[in-house]
Amino acid sequence: MKAMLIVWMKELRELVRDRRTLLLALVLSPLLTPILVIGLGTLAESRAKSQIEKPLAIAIVGAERAPNLVAWLGGQGITRKTLDEDPDTAIRNQDEDVYLRIEPEYAAHWRDGTPALVEIVHDSTREDSKIPVKRVEAAIDLYRQELGALRLLARGVSPAVASPVVASHKDLSTPEARKGLALAFLPYLLILSAFLGTVQLVVDTTAGERERQSLEPLLATPARRGAIVSGKIAAACAVGVTALLLTMISLKVGAQLSPGIGRQMDVGTTAIGKMLFILLPMVFIGGSLLTFIAAGAKSVKEAQSYMGVLILLPMIPTLILMVSPVKNQPWMFAVPFLAQNQMLLKVIRSETIEPLTWAVYLAAGFGLAAVLWFAATRRYHQEKLAVSA
Amino acid sequence: MITAEHLRKTFPGKGKDKGRVIAVDDVGFTARDGEITGLLGPNGAGKTTTLRMLYTLMRPESGRVLVDGADVAGNEEAARRALGVLPDARGVYKRLTARENIRYFGELHGLDPKLIEERTRRLAGALQMDDFLDRQTEGFSQGQRTKTAIARALVHDPKNVILDEPTNGLDVMTTRGLREFLRQLRSEGRCVIFSSHIMQEVAALCDRVVVIAHGKVVAQGTADELRAQTGEANLEDAFVRLIGSDEGLHA
Repeated sequence: MKAMLIVWMKELRELVRDRRTLLLALVLSPLLTPILVIGLGTLAESRAKSQIEKPLAIAIVGAERAPNLVAWLGGQGITRKTLDEDPDTAIRNQDEDVYLRIEPEYAAHWRDGTPALVEIVHDSTREDSKIPVKRVEAAIDLYRQELGALRLLARGVSPAVASPVVASHKDLSTPEARKGLALAFLPYLLILSAFLGTVQLVVDTTAGERERQSLEPLLATPARRGAIVSGKIAAACAVGVTALLLTMISLKVGAQLSPGIGRQMDVGTTAIGKMLFILLPMVFIGGSLLTFIAAGAKSVKEAQSYMGVLILLPMIPTLILMVSPVKNQPWMFAVPFLAQNQMLLKVIRSETIEPLTWAVYLAAGFGLAAVLWFAATRRYHQEKLAVSA
Repeated sequence: MITAEHLRKTFPGKGKDKGRVIAVDDVGFTARDGEITGLLGPNGAGKTTTLRMLYTLMRPESGRVLVDGADVAGNEEAARRALGVLPDARGVYKRLTARENIRYFGELHGLDPKLIEERTRRLAGALQMDDFLDRQTEGFSQGQRTKTAIARALVHDPKNVILDEPTNGLDVMTTRGLREFLRQLRSEGRCVIFSSHIMQEVAALCDRVVVIAHGKVVAQGTADELRAQTGEANLEDAFVRLIGSDEGLHA
């Protein structure tokens, strides 16, 4: 126990003197996560807002055939503009999102009381054109309904006759849950920074120590190997928890600076505290697993080559859930990464977490961390580990 | 006192030929207190592997090691307490000062801070490292690094000292200083074992020499005994005879 404390102190002292690694571990994630979340959120929101509220100028081919429609669209904030090039080419070149084509027989159909054709031309694979297309569609639909009603009234028929069934939506999702939608990637970011936040330190204290040839003298001291490894893991976890704390604080501060994000997720002090607590087992799992892997590597370079794979691990549950969304089951809270993901989503959506869920989650998380810690200490007992070259 | 009895160690072979490589085979010798015992042998003879078994980093496949009369198997911790070890790998923590490097090992040996401070002062004086004691070891010369490594290996005042090629890469003056330091350890009644592939060094320092070649002890005794055994007046010729030719091996 005392030896563990000595190793812990020494590793932290070394880290504090290594400014670059310290900065990377403590500042990068706390700075990057809120910037990504808030930046992307604000960007998406402002874009949607501007597309919905800004006057939309579109080309209208054959506008002279339907002056009333064009005037009505103008009243809805959709104005007419002229294009120099062929409108179809403009859509293909992505210069334009959408344009209207009014058929040559529009006036004739209109007079006869038969449907007159108005084509909305767009490229359905373009994410960007979705909102303009919807706006044009909605405006024309409204025009259609209004004129249809007027025509029926003129013939002495109630417009209600023409609509025997009306479908309407009733959204039962809570406002809090809707917030979570835009922040689906926040759990991934948080899990990743908790899981891999300590990687610099771990690689430096294990594979780095071996590469620099200071492991053999260390193992020749009477300190127990279990204590040495535990000290190293504890140092990594201390740094990981600090980085996590900073990340959560900066997330909260960032959310207060950007009011949009506060509306989309729960950033109350309780929620932030819960998220921090949820991520704790992840820090311990990460620290032990990284130590286990890096201890077996002969050089820093070899250890770092494993990290590319590890970055993908937290992504797997998120991807699987994206492809086939399933209802929360108790077993999910025992699967690493998936459990953290679900727990964080619950907090972000302001759902209550059952005591049983907490129990399953914490037992599984800390249990796995303990197994990995044990594996790491076993690895330090291997004879070949001490031989550097 | 350190006694090695019939030590044997093999490693898994690499490549197509999967036969195990015999690193050390039936090595035995005794290093007495108040004497310097030299392990002499060419590169790859098995010196480092032998020493690693002595300081419990490796477990011999057969044979045993006694430190001060006690078998180290099962008592690794006690053995390591009784040993001061300068391994082949002597990396120091470059972001710590020399003093902090020494203190770290002192703490791992369970010494209290006052005692560590006192021992550091004494070792620094004996090894002439006062002018760089409080500098971070990054950028240290080979000699400064070796001195730091030796000081931290001896901070717990061990009765037995094992040094793996301590003069490797050191200049003449540092080597001379180090020899003086080893003689001082001997005069304090310690048991000193050191390995080397350099003849002159062994001749200049050792009370007893153990010559190792191809993982086996080919001869042991005082320098005079070795000369007599081979019939060579010059110790270097005796060494070449002992390790180089079949005639030497069977002498």
